[in-house]
Amino acid sequence: MPDINIETIKAALGVDIQKAGSLEELEELRIKYLGRKGLLAQLTSSIPALPPQQRPGFGQAANALKNKINSLLEEKSKSLASVKGEVVFASTVDIGLPGIAQDLGRLHPITQVVDEICAVFTNMGFSIVEGPEIETEHNNFTGLNIPLEHPSRDAFDTFYLKSTKTSGERLLLRSHTSPVQVRVMKARKPPLAVVVPGRVYRPDATDAAHSFMFHQVEGLVVDKNIRFSDLKGALEFFAKSVFGQDIKMRFRPHFFPFTEPSVEVDISCIICKGKGCSVCGRKGWLEVLGAGMVHPNVFKNVGYDTKKYTGFAFGMGVERIAMLKYGIDDIRLFFENDLRFLNQF
Amino acid sequence: MKFTYNWLKEFVNIKISAQELADKLTMAGLEVVGLDQAGEDFVFEVEITSNRPDWLSVVGIAREVAAVTGGKLKLGARLPAGQAGRSVIGAGENRKPKTDNRIMTIKIEDKKDCPLYTARIIRDVQVGPSAGWLKHCLESIGCRSINNVVDIINYIMFTWGQPLHAFDLDKLNSDTIVVRRASSGEKLTLIDGAEKLLDKDILVIATPDKPVAVAGVMGGKDTEVGLGTRSLLLEAAVFNPAVVRASRRKLAIGSDSSYRFERGVDLGEVEHAASQSAKLITELAKGKLVLSKSSPVSKVKVKSVTLEGACVEKILGIDKIPAEKIKKILSSLGFTAKMQAKNKFKVTIPSYRPDVNQKEDLIEELARIFGYENIPNTLPAVIPQTNPVSPRDLVCRVKDMLVGLGLNEVITHSLISRDGLSAQILRQGEPIEVLNPLSKEQEILRPGLALSLLKCVAHNLNQRQNHISIFEIAKGFCSVSGQFKEELRLGICLCGTKPHFFPQGLVKDELGFLHLKGILEAIFQCLGIKEYNFRAKGVGQIEVLVKKEQAGIMVSPSAELLDGLDIKNRNVVVAEILLERIFAFADLTKKFNPLPQYPGISRDISVVLKEEISSEEVLRYIKEKAAGLLRQVGIADYYKGRQIPPGFKGLTISCFYRAQERTLTEAEINPLHARIAGILQEKFGAQVR
Repeated sequence: MPDINIETIKAALGVDIQKAGSLEELEELRIKYLGRKGLLAQLTSSIPALPPQQRPGFGQAANALKNKINSLLEEKSKSLASVKGEVVFASTVDIGLPGIAQDLGRLHPITQVVDEICAVFTNMGFSIVEGPEIETEHNNFTGLNIPLEHPSRDAFDTFYLKSTKTSGERLLLRSHTSPVQVRVMKARKPPLAVVVPGRVYRPDATDAAHSFMFHQVEGLVVDKNIRFSDLKGALEFFAKSVFGQDIKMRFRPHFFPFTEPSVEVDISCIICKGKGCSVCGRKGWLEVLGAGMVHPNVFKNVGYDTKKYTGFAFGMGVERIAMLKYGIDDIRLFFENDLRFLNQF
Repeated sequence: MKFTYNWLKEFVNIKISAQELADKLTMAGLEVVGLDQAGEDFVFEVEITSNRPDWLSVVGIAREVAAVTGGKLKLGARLPAGQAGRSVIGAGENRKPKTDNRIMTIKIEDKKDCPLYTARIIRDVQVGPSAGWLKHCLESIGCRSINNVVDIINYIMFTWGQPLHAFDLDKLNSDTIVVRRASSGEKLTLIDGAEKLLDKDILVIATPDKPVAVAGVMGGKDTEVGLGTRSLLLEAAVFNPAVVRASRRKLAIGSDSSYRFERGVDLGEVEHAASQSAKLITELAKGKLVLSKSSPVSKVKVKSVTLEGACVEKILGIDKIPAEKIKKILSSLGFTAKMQAKNKFKVTIPSYRPDVNQKEDLIEELARIFGYENIPNTLPAVIPQTNPVSPRDLVCRVKDMLVGLGLNEVITHSLISRDGLSAQILRQGEPIEVLNPLSKEQEILRPGLALSLLKCVAHNLNQRQNHISIFEIAKGFCSVSGQFKEELRLGICLCGTKPHFFPQGLVKDELGFLHLKGILEAIFQCLGIKEYNFRAKGVGQIEVLVKKEQAGIMVSPSAELLDGLDIKNRNVVVAEILLERIFAFADLTKKFNPLPQYPGISRDISVVLKEEISSEEVLRYIKEKAAGLLRQVGIADYYKGRQIPPGFKGLTISCFYRAQERTLTEAEINPLHARIAGILQEKFGAQVR
């Protein structure tokens, strides 16, 4: 006969359970009593040695003991857990194994930035509109007060399209999103508040800072009492929403043919916080958008009454904003679509 | 443009440091993009917007400095108007100095091309190196010193903004100057040595025999001033900006001179600049001015604009700007503001401000000097609009869903090479060509997205990615009977093996048509499109139909095409969808159907079928034949392998039965279900297992 029997186990169990002060200690007890080489296993391993007539009775008693141990352990573990406020789980898993993959794709960083910019303005009550990428010379230039043979056009080098027709206006790939201003104003009467995201094209040789295709977001507000101060406030709200509450801003006079007065908007460099670094060209400022009060000639071209209405417009390059926001140093990365790049956003 | 602090100080008193000045100018719209110390001096580099030709001169910048700092202008300080005279002589009238019997005739073909041409003849010049101060001045702004005459001309241009040109009078060998359009076929070798072929778009300065200079752009080599030059013809003129621009673009050459002419040269300053330079030449190159001649000047109308103070306040959003302040700012900029009524001004515009033509222009001037930073920030009172669901809304929905399904969005270029046309799927119309592409890679406006996506896949396979699921939503372009069309397309491309780690172990999932189909079905679901199907169309092509109309295609590209893209031993599938076509059927309205009151019964049926029988057809047939209590039919399992003979497939079809108003019993279902088995046997020769 082994020197362990049901009674000694019972006695020891009572003491052990009492003493156990943590779930870990309780787990040790479980192994001590119910483990593969535990006390109960040792007990049952003695069954074959018993006389046949004693075996069923002993077996039942051992089983009852096992149940008792289990219930005592469970009870104790519940009381311990309730002290710690933890839920007790039935089984464990090797959490070191890879998780069962739930694929998550990602929107392109440009789409994410476009959406973020548009959301700032839709929160202010703007509507999103879009326009075609193939445009007329009128909408892209003359309608916007950019005369065809004028130095102001130098900033807007343009891809023209081969036409199979002999008559009609020359068609081109829009070099900015501003032609949508002309379209919207021709189609609707004020009040207007729209943002226009989209692809634009300029024949620039590709390098780290230039791409012949890029994205812009344009904005236009027209109503009876739209003031330059409204432009400043709306753009401050935009810049702080996108770049953070702490940035500083400055509004510099500038020239755009389709706005008067015109302004370029700088934010304090988000990399060096205005101290001067290579990103901001040691100036401490980053130019993020151009804007201005809609030029009366633009209103005249779409048949708006310049005595009645005023408005402001703005435009920004999405790639530039994304590059600043995420610290990307090469515009080509956006169009290479390397998954190791895309998966970072 | 570059200038130096000391150069500027000759024309305006400055009491602040170079850095402070740079900041002030930047905030007034004259952006200083570079400021470098050079010995005792500072070199400024400014970016000049195309509306301000007056800023293309030190004097013009001095005016701005005076306005923003309050410093005193001293335009007469160093170069007072010379005694050489502002003699303007009408056509036919020739002043003949006693020492010279030369007669100069100026013929202008079209006054619109050349509103003013003046010529001065200076004799006995000694061409040689420049004086030290002049050389230093030019070199400090990066302009190479050539000889005293050319340097003086450049110095005057940088100082006064008036480009001039000097011809070697002896080489010119003519007493007549003609300003005319070139005839096509004429040739001229320019100072830079390039021979240019001319035509009627190009304005030239010519003798009666031949062109000697491209007006406003560059002089000719033959009449260039050099060390041996004894006599000069000094040209100071105004040319039509658009014409100079056209000449410059056509000849693909530019110069400091054409840059200024294109932006507009101040007619009022020509005589002054010319006499200043003649004076300097007589001083520094020992020449004698013997003749001054000018084409007749049409009377220039003085511009004026009416401005109301209330309007300034209304447009800028400022409370009150005193009339005195308006007057003070405008006069500091060289405008004359005369009060006409209470807070209403008649503002006279100086000739060097071609950009100011209406009240908005004056308001900008006021705002610049007042300081944009002193205008408050307010929020516009935007009246929100209700908008119907737009294609963009649907695009956003589709994008979000695809991302949720694990696809990555890509953005690729819309311009492709001509070679790329052969790899297009779902082609429509004719391709649109770019007239002025930068390279062969950008000749064509792409008809579709498939090729661009395949290129992305190739790039990523090269980076050792095993599994690539990407999509793009962008325009496809084509020309249909001469009419250009752009239409939104969705492209999806899947490639590789997706690993799934299940507790049972690793399962490798090879991406293929069924994945694509599943993705497209999810799109249809999210757009509320119910009637769609997929139809095999030749090898490796499956048509996607919505309401029986073609809406897209799924393709497994040929090994040849993949090979060309360097995609080796990989299975790739691409789908291209005409988004606008499926958007036409989108239905986002939702209506609640009451939940069933009574439970249903699900029964499976396993059959063995010939491989070529389409599962879709089987399901459709069952639906058709067993309407009523049968609510749903679907594929529960599909298998080939050991227990199925070759050429056959095993299919388990699940059928779900339910009645609206009672609980179904087994007894009711059994015959119905048995009938389906019968139908399958009859119609498809299916063997029930």
